[in-house]
Amino acid sequence: MTNEISLIKLREGEVAEIISVIGGRMATKRLADLGLILGTKIKVLRKAPLRGPVEIEVRGSRLVLGRGLASKILVHPVK
Amino acid sequence: MPEKKLNTVLAGIANVGKSVIFNHLTGLHQHIGNWPGKTIEKAEGTLHYKGYTIDVLDLPGIYSLGTYSIEEEISREYITKEKVDFIINIVDSTRLETNLLFTLQLLALQKPVVLALNMMDLSRKKGLSIDCQRLQELLGIPVVPMIATEGKGITEVLDEGIELVKTQKPVLKVQKELTAKERADLSHQICREVIKVTKPKKISWSEKFDNLTCHKIWGYPVMAVILSAMVLTIFRFGGWFSSFLEDITSGWQEGWKTIFGISIWASLGWSAIESAIALIQIALPYIIPFYLLLFLLEDWGYLARVAFLLDNLMHRIGVHGKACIPLMLGFGCNVPACLSCRIMETQRERFITGFLTTLVPCSAVTVIIMGLVGKFVGISWAFGLYLFAILIIFGLGKLASKTLPGEATELIMEMPDYKQPNLKTIVLQTWFRLKDFLYIAGPLVIISGVIIEGIHLAGWLPAIANFLSPITVKWLGLPTITGILLIFGILRKELILVMLATLLGTANFAQVLNPVQMITLALISMLYIPCIATLAALWREFGWKKTLGITGFEIGFAILIGGIAFRILARLF
Repeated sequence: MTNEISLIKLREGEVAEIISVIGGRMATKRLADLGLILGTKIKVLRKAPLRGPVEIEVRGSRLVLGRGLASKILVHPVK
Repeated sequence: MPEKKLNTVLAGIANVGKSVIFNHLTGLHQHIGNWPGKTIEKAEGTLHYKGYTIDVLDLPGIYSLGTYSIEEEISREYITKEKVDFIINIVDSTRLETNLLFTLQLLALQKPVVLALNMMDLSRKKGLSIDCQRLQELLGIPVVPMIATEGKGITEVLDEGIELVKTQKPVLKVQKELTAKERADLSHQICREVIKVTKPKKISWSEKFDNLTCHKIWGYPVMAVILSAMVLTIFRFGGWFSSFLEDITSGWQEGWKTIFGISIWASLGWSAIESAIALIQIALPYIIPFYLLLFLLEDWGYLARVAFLLDNLMHRIGVHGKACIPLMLGFGCNVPACLSCRIMETQRERFITGFLTTLVPCSAVTVIIMGLVGKFVGISWAFGLYLFAILIIFGLGKLASKTLPGEATELIMEMPDYKQPNLKTIVLQTWFRLKDFLYIAGPLVIISGVIIEGIHLAGWLPAIANFLSPITVKWLGLPTITGILLIFGILRKELILVMLATLLGTANFAQVLNPVQMITLALISMLYIPCIATLAALWREFGWKKTLGITGFEIGFAILIGGIAFRILARLF
């Protein structure tokens, strides 16, 4: 059983692999254009306070995702 | 007969240095307009190089060539349908893998592409070594290393482009349309082959600074300081420059009368000049420092941090983090505030933000609030009005985001590294925005000034005031003269107070208005219609239909609120 949790549950510094993206076609496509697809490894860099956005590192770039969107990305933590 | 005229486009994702390169290529020979029928900005320019006349089009920074946004559609359509001789794909060498995702989409369009691998100085500093030769082989297109901020690599890119056109080289590694996964995998593979990390990753000053500016706790006070410094600078400089211009032009009216007399034509002529002067007095003092500072913060990379810190707050009013900048700027002048809405990513957000900026009490409105309510009714009432304005902005923001079609988009933004701002780019960007705005606002302001003066000379003002009295007197409880004041207020809002003093012959407003009327008048001035310069900005950003919509709404809204306020206040005093 894969350990699937929402991206926003990760702590700063944790690394994970994307399992799936729940949500509209638009959001999924937008994320895919930026390289966030099944199997992509990401690292959580920073989480803004007050239920704010999440900053992640993916493919050598730093990306900021709004909280609502980030919560729709399901990931599997890796060591 | 060799073609001596070429068309090229600059394509790339956001924050790769496109504007720096565009400015290098076109310098002062650029023009910023709109795409026909749309309110998306179109930047074009020309240069002459080795006997060729090259037209350059700077495409918006987009992440894909799909149909996610208008910018993407426009870009795709332009590249595939228009005569484009070659594309310059600008790539940030510090984020190669992400950038290549877009490059691969571009190649599928089957046009000649030259890859400008920019920011080589920064990638070197980060310890990244990129094998440009191998990259060239893998992609099948020329790859030119570039440091745009130092002007290096620019002519080489043009040479490669011209070479591609001359030899009509077929695009060898023709990339058919790949799926997102295929692009991601291919990009990853390519990068593994061409990038070598030569230095162990040390924490750069940029990262250290980020730990402060994005800090959960300290990030906010730092932001408050930086943004307040920005607003204060604009206010201060604006105020000073404004007075300075006023002093210069103070004797001109007398001079005009001496030369041309006071006939009708002389008066109309003067009102045209006066309107132009007024515009320069409004526009330049606030817009110039605003744009300079905005582009400075953006180039430096700070605006992205602001969006990061304020995003969730702005979500409550249907926009994102970046929207706080236009809203704050509105306190100085609505015009640059409205124009700054282009920093929002989607049309929907730009519109909501633009609409909300017109509700922010600008310095002209402050003149009325302080000079009328603050002075004659009490300072706490004056503050109350500001608070009310903020509540209205939140309320209408929520309403707008619920009723406007389209979904509220989530923030997806790349966090750029902090970098040294490029002064030349900032100044050039400022200059062209200013020119562009004056082109629209100028005629509008001058024509309306002349019209109002004409109405005044024809003696129609009292008739108009009477015509409006069912609203102004019966519903709003204000004296008949208000009708005239509100018409002048369209030109510049502080004229409401200025004309009141002029028509009364005294600045002791308490003789004519009671406290309830003062508060109601200030409230109406704040809400009823953006001044003509702001209308010009709205028109420029959103087109005439939306501008009319906002205007109609605000007039109706102001009248409604004013009447209700009048009745409530009458019971309190």
